Amino acid sequence: MEFELLLSLILLSLSAVFSLYRQFQMLQQNSYFAARYFKWIKGSFAVRTVVLAILFFAASFLLAAKIHIPLLILSALLFVTRIIICITVAKKSIKPLKFTGRVKRLFAASVLTLCLLAVLFGVFERSLAGEICYTLLLMFAILTPLLALFSKLICSPIEKAFNLYYINDAKKILRGMKNLTVVGVTGSYGKTTTKFILNRILSEKYNTVCTPGSFNTTLGVVRTVREMLKPQTQIFVCEMGAKQKGDIKEICDIVKPKCGIITSVGEQHLETFKSVDNVFNTKFELCDSIEKNGGVCFVNLDSPGIAERIGKKPFATPIGENTDYFVSDIKSGPLGSSFILHIKDTEISLKTKLLGRHSIADICAAAVCAFYLGVDEIDIKSAVAALTPTEHRLELKPYYNGSTLLDDAYNSNPEGCIEALRVLGSFEGMNKTVITPGLIELGSREYEANYNLGLACAEHADTIILVGKKYSAPIKEAVEKSDFDKSRLIEADSFKQALGVFLKYADKSSVLLIENDLPDNYLK
Amino acid sequence: MKINMAVFFGCRSVEHEVSIISAVQAMKSVNREKYNVLPVYVAKNGTSYTGDALFDIESYKDMPSLLKTLHPVTLLRENDRVVMRYLDNGFFKKNDDVAVDVCFPIVHGTNCEDGTMAGFFEYLGVPYISCDIISAAVGMDKKVFKDVLKAHNLPVLDCICFTAKEYRADSDAILDKLKREIGFPLIVKPVNLGSSVGISKVKEENALASAIDLGLSFADKILVEKAVNSLREINCSVLGTPDNCEASVLEEPVMSDDILSFGDKYLGGGKQKSGGSKGMASLSRKVPADLPDEKTKEIQDLSVKIFKALGCSGVVRIDYLLNNDTGEVFANEINTIPGSLAFYLWRESGVDYPELIDRLVDTAFYRQRKRDNLTFVYESNILESANLGGSKGQKGGKL
Repeated sequence: MEFELLLSLILLSLSAVFSLYRQFQMLQQNSYFAARYFKWIKGSFAVRTVVLAILFFAASFLLAAKIHIPLLILSALLFVTRIIICITVAKKSIKPLKFTGRVKRLFAASVLTLCLLAVLFGVFERSLAGEICYTLLLMFAILTPLLALFSKLICSPIEKAFNLYYINDAKKILRGMKNLTVVGVTGSYGKTTTKFILNRILSEKYNTVCTPGSFNTTLGVVRTVREMLKPQTQIFVCEMGAKQKGDIKEICDIVKPKCGIITSVGEQHLETFKSVDNVFNTKFELCDSIEKNGGVCFVNLDSPGIAERIGKKPFATPIGENTDYFVSDIKSGPLGSSFILHIKDTEISLKTKLLGRHSIADICAAAVCAFYLGVDEIDIKSAVAALTPTEHRLELKPYYNGSTLLDDAYNSNPEGCIEALRVLGSFEGMNKTVITPGLIELGSREYEANYNLGLACAEHADTIILVGKKYSAPIKEAVEKSDFDKSRLIEADSFKQALGVFLKYADKSSVLLIENDLPDNYLK
Repeated sequence: MKINMAVFFGCRSVEHEVSIISAVQAMKSVNREKYNVLPVYVAKNGTSYTGDALFDIESYKDMPSLLKTLHPVTLLRENDRVVMRYLDNGFFKKNDDVAVDVCFPIVHGTNCEDGTMAGFFEYLGVPYISCDIISAAVGMDKKVFKDVLKAHNLPVLDCICFTAKEYRADSDAILDKLKREIGFPLIVKPVNLGSSVGISKVKEENALASAIDLGLSFADKILVEKAVNSLREINCSVLGTPDNCEASVLEEPVMSDDILSFGDKYLGGGKQKSGGSKGMASLSRKVPADLPDEKTKEIQDLSVKIFKALGCSGVVRIDYLLNNDTGEVFANEINTIPGSLAFYLWRESGVDYPELIDRLVDTAFYRQRKRDNLTFVYESNILESANLGGSKGQKGGKL
């Protein structure tokens, strides 16, 4: 094989490895679902894909025609471009690629595939087999999404074996802990906050562990069990997330919950669930499991998605208006909230620094559950008073140049977003700014939700900064229709740029609400 | 899964042997279904060892051969967990790290009970059974203890305190002051030792100087207070946390001398001839003390107040001086890790030894949970957002 050809192939293969950074990043952010990953490729990279396809045919032609110098130049150009793109992406991403074991295995599989094809090409250079090998090599090296998917395919049996081992290990650990009570928390919205509040209240009396951050997949739960449960742990508070039917049941079969909370049933992840009925049935897999294990499952009847369908699940214990467990006398302001919690005949008056009615609903569910698990009134009171907002969930923070930040970056719930704006509106006499890219993954209701968000922005904010165009168009439309001062509606290309706008005028009297800041794959 | 409990004892302290007795007793009473006990013996030179021989009191009689069977170990924090690591791992002989879930110091005296060990556990961030740094340190220094109690309007005897240097610079003036302001009989004690080491009761002037010299051989600071007439010693134990604690029944030690001596407490003195290895439990005493109910209640309430004033945790024993003529009660000292963990008092209060240990473990986890709920480290790096504005070197920008 000539030197130029060899060098071209090496450069092409190396360029592919750099290009894979972005591909695996997107695969990771799409939870390794091929379909969702494809949608990303289709949606945001159509032009680039076409360019790459042309490049592929050009390279195939050059190679077939044995015109090696232009091939080398082409490879070198691609190599340099991809390194630059890779470094830029790695530096600028909101969620950079995490080099987990799985990602490392994917990289290894890709490199092995490319090496194998190159060797085979060398061996069968002048035959049909050789031609197939170099076509495949070029295809994988240039059209890296195909290589990413191929690697995922050949890694999948290994991943399955690893997962099975981890799951069985977690089951063994849980079986060995006779005195452990598992509490499951699920719901379309509010489950992470409820989990942290419940864990905080329970920790007044018990040694508790909860799933960290928004770890809520089967493997996230398994990892928590294997790495964080201690021999003295008495209660494990387990957040359970679902993107499709059966997800909650799968987690329940591992952890066997004795108690649980379903915070809400709504329109999240409708793209994979198709209908709210499916969401309901999936969330209530927790209720079914608790019924089998003999415990209590509290469900929030104030969530319309639950109220409409609760008749189907007589086992569930409802919380909310017109039930035995509810809150009354809610008072809230910029400093926090106070309310009275009713648990059958017991009345507990509570104070908290948390803002928004949805937070009070979360506290109510958590406190009722903790009371059921034996935590005393006084302990509930002191824990609730000590609650600090979950990071990025309507979190009140001192910010740049004496300004105030209301960080609601993790919120993706339409009603929750509007509540956050209402809270922003309660900062009377201050200069109120909101930064938002809009709401996503709401299927057919996406337009309406963003339009309503726009109306709320216009009503409560003094300055609106929109990030990206893809999801924020309905917000803009709503704001423009209202009597909002158009000069205070600003569009920015990136979150950083948007923040820059605010920082220019940030001072003691300004408050900034950051609403639903999305990972990279949704922007643009 | 069992809870791995590292029991620390020994240490560089005059009460080294007492600690061994208390610890071996405790390790025998631990519920092995629930706990996996890791004995950590801190030798007099400060080296820590582990080994199965440490469970048997007989093996301590021949210290050189005991040490040969033990492995030197250390505790360290690695990746969010605390482990005990063997220091004599060779290429072929290798003992794995053992995770430590809770530390149980059963140590007495300076260099350990005085908050030193608590500080070590705080530094590691491991749950531990005993008072925290401040309460242990205050409990160790009899003068500071009196000062803190005075500030809380709790009853203590007035005292005069001086250092070795002050005394040696002008001993006559100090002796004169003691005679004038306190008078005989009086008690001379080193300010920071327990178990009656270096304490003497002085009835007349000519014995005073030698009593002070004895005291100064154990500590740099001496405390002198009036001896109580018609004295009865009463002890009370408190168990729990500042948020939730209770007092035990009272005991009255039977004295062979005017004050309870080290020999009485630990060397099998007193009337029982049961051998020298039972520690505080073998001392002659009346449990519960023969006192009227209201006096008992008064002392128990006082004990809980003292426990809270110092912010203690775990089990402590508070020793009182009772003037039998006037009924006056004075808090004399606190043992933040009492000999035999005062189990004999809790047994009489309806809490057997294994349950006592369970409750002690709960106090350790309770404190740890409280700490975990406070913010000590910000998860996010505040410096990250400092550059978000893109304006380099901007002055006066606050985060």
